[in-house]
Amino acid sequence: MKIAVAIKQVPERDAFVRIAPNAKGIEEHELQWAMNEPDAYALEEALQFKEKNGGEVVVVSAGPERVGSTIREALAKGADRAIHVVCDDLAGRDALNVAKLLAAAIKPENPDLILTGLQSEDVGLGQTGVIVAELLGLPHATLILHVEKTDAGLKVKRELEEGWFQEIELPLPAVLTMQSGGNKLRYATLMGIKKAKTKELRTVNAAEPDGAPPVLVLERVTLPQKQKSTQMLGGSAKEAAAALVEKLKTEARVL
Amino acid sequence: MAAALPTLAEPAHFSLAERLVFAALAAASAYGFWRRFGPILGKILHSKKDPDFHLAPIGPRVRDFVWEVMLQAKVIRERPLAGVAHALVFWAFCAFALVTLNHCATIFGLGFLDPTGSVGRIYFDFAALFAVACAAGIAELFVRRFVVRPKWLGEVSPESGWIAFLIFALMATYLAAFFVAGDDGATREFWWAHTITLLVFLPLIPHTKHLHLVLSPASVFLSRGGFSRIPPLVGDEDFGLVAGKDLTQLVSLQAYSCVECGRCTEHCPAANTGKLLDPKTVILGVRGYLNDYGPASEQPLLGKYNSQEAAFECTTCGACEFQCPVGIEHVPIIVGLRRGAVNTGAWQDERGAKLFLSLERGSNALGMSAAERDKFVEKNALPVFDGTQEYCLWLGCMGGYDPKGREIVLALVEVMQFLGASFGVLRKEKCTGDPVRRLGNDLVFQQLAESNLEALAQGKVKKIISICPHCVRTIQEDWKAFGTSPAVEHHSEFLAKFADRLPKSAGGEKIVFHDPCYLGRYRGVYDEPRKVAALAGELVEAPRSRERSFCCGAGGGLAFLGEETGERVSHVRAVELAATGAGVVGAACPFCNTMFRDALAQVSESRPGAPAPELLDIAQIAARGLRAG
Repeated sequence: MKIAVAIKQVPERDAFVRIAPNAKGIEEHELQWAMNEPDAYALEEALQFKEKNGGEVVVVSAGPERVGSTIREALAKGADRAIHVVCDDLAGRDALNVAKLLAAAIKPENPDLILTGLQSEDVGLGQTGVIVAELLGLPHATLILHVEKTDAGLKVKRELEEGWFQEIELPLPAVLTMQSGGNKLRYATLMGIKKAKTKELRTVNAAEPDGAPPVLVLERVTLPQKQKSTQMLGGSAKEAAAALVEKLKTEARVL
Repeated sequence: MAAALPTLAEPAHFSLAERLVFAALAAASAYGFWRRFGPILGKILHSKKDPDFHLAPIGPRVRDFVWEVMLQAKVIRERPLAGVAHALVFWAFCAFALVTLNHCATIFGLGFLDPTGSVGRIYFDFAALFAVACAAGIAELFVRRFVVRPKWLGEVSPESGWIAFLIFALMATYLAAFFVAGDDGATREFWWAHTITLLVFLPLIPHTKHLHLVLSPASVFLSRGGFSRIPPLVGDEDFGLVAGKDLTQLVSLQAYSCVECGRCTEHCPAANTGKLLDPKTVILGVRGYLNDYGPASEQPLLGKYNSQEAAFECTTCGACEFQCPVGIEHVPIIVGLRRGAVNTGAWQDERGAKLFLSLERGSNALGMSAAERDKFVEKNALPVFDGTQEYCLWLGCMGGYDPKGREIVLALVEVMQFLGASFGVLRKEKCTGDPVRRLGNDLVFQQLAESNLEALAQGKVKKIISICPHCVRTIQEDWKAFGTSPAVEHHSEFLAKFADRLPKSAGGEKIVFHDPCYLGRYRGVYDEPRKVAALAGELVEAPRSRERSFCCGAGGGLAFLGEETGERVSHVRAVELAATGAGVVGAACPFCNTMFRDALAQVSESRPGAPAPELLDIAQIAARGLRAG
């Protein structure tokens, strides 16, 4: 069983984000980078799946040279080999374009299962995995917490709204986009890092954008506006409580 | 004048048959010794070389040897009664070296100490005094072991009884020879009785814990140096103590040197609160492993002889290592076992993995967003270090993120401003890596050390001040493998320098200071924090203080793991501190502080009517004086 895992490198969660001068993205120097968390869960699921059922885990990641550190982290945690699609303008490509890069790298591998995070922590479009499935002509399921092998293929657990879950079965090969939190992530070890040095890391150059007009155009990136919206609710405790419930229902919509 | 001194009688002539019997018995005795000792020596020598061992500088080694071995100072200081008894036996053995050599030589007519000559008389009388002292000493030790039976000695071992009897017999047969005269009869009988005792004693040495007679002088002299120093990993196959092949010569030497006195156990916070960990068992576990599998084995060290659970219960407080009279360095061995488990991924612990993941990706051990530290710095208008200030104020995880730790930092800031000391904080700072270092995660530790060293070098930091003894230790000692750290000072050292300029609190209440392990045993700083704490009033001491201080339970990364088994270490210590009757518990470590906060509250709940003592860091004590004045 061969499992391909597509991972993305994103700015560290604590990173201090500044907007680039052209307002089309963020300033990249001085940023620290990490593995996209849902992708880390996809990798964890792949590793556990391999530990149970045997096989091989191949990691695929697109991006500039710096992505190498995240790929090595994946190898250290137990992936068997990796493909780095070298692409210096990843941020300038839309989800369709990125999915094309990944699909092109994955296709010759002929994997039985393709896993990736359900979305990225930076732009969060939540489309890449699904488009990869379409491009490869494979069935897919999204928001997956758990994967189990059956005789016919897979049984997966999907997360729905409000604490509901759905279990579905699908044939292999398939593409799954993984939700965070389904597993416990493993920590990286010194032994893993040393072993990773001897594992295969193949680099391929990204194809130029195919000239077709992008399906999605990024206009401008801005930082969220900080604003204080404290409201003091007057009246007696009873009145204030009633007003609070009303606001939680209609304005905050948490009730 | 010497001719008037009493002397011992020894046979003047021996028959050929006697000589042959002696030679045969001596050969058998030596063989019995070597048959056991030879393989042990082989296991020690065939262990891996210690990567960081240097014989130089020799001065401190000689000093420790004289102090700890020759003078028995450590043995006596930590257990005075048993220590003096032991010292008497030891000194008698030293005095007897010449006597014994001479004794064996006389049978071949080669005796060099003439009992009738003045030199011989003086020496034999000198040895006789030691013999009396030794007999008294060994009798005391016998009573202690078989009648008093302190629980630290473990189960009664009959072999110790035999050894005590033989030592007593050695002394008795020597002294008896002072009361007889002539060449035959009793003189000859006592000579042979002494000889046979000696020849029975010799092979027993390597078969029992009395092997320490031979090995402990070496283990003290060849210590790796420093306190609780964690060795570097060398090469691509070194992940810590995974299997026998990772045991170094000094670890093996120490394992065979253990005299099983149980001082380590007596002072261990884990062993004292019902945990599985017992430092003596860890060392004897390594010895058992070496006996079974030898030093080249691939068999895991954590298994039959040592348990993973126990290894991860150690707070790395170092009480065991500090107490050990034969120079065993427990903490690097326990941390070594953890490294073996963590660096290979064998250790699976939910809280541990969470800590590692927070530090792989984030900046602090508390798992909070770095923006929280930025907010704290901004809100309190802490100056940013720009290279012009004298001190870089290192916040650490507790000082930067923990509400109580922040209070300590702000108190220190107040005092530093009062004293006119210039300081600034780094814009970005990561955990020093203390908890991952002690838990054995070398990968994350290296990343943190390198990243911090780079930030400090870029900021041109010359001197660091920190409220956390764990940060101080890690910056000063543990980062060495990855670069040169700036000088670092704990805030107690800084505050003590200016204690004369700080106003005293008016209250004048009783205050008990708790020595943090990483400030006391690890750094040797005891008086400075007391000088500051004394600003709040009259100092009283806890029963266990200074070098013998009892851990709060947080060290060794355990603050992040939770403590499920037995009584809480922090609770035991809090009860002890509260029982001093002090109104203030003075702390000098944010981890101790956080541990005692809950523990003291619990203690006061169980003592209705007696309010819990107030818990203050020494920085808060100093700052309170400022506000009052």
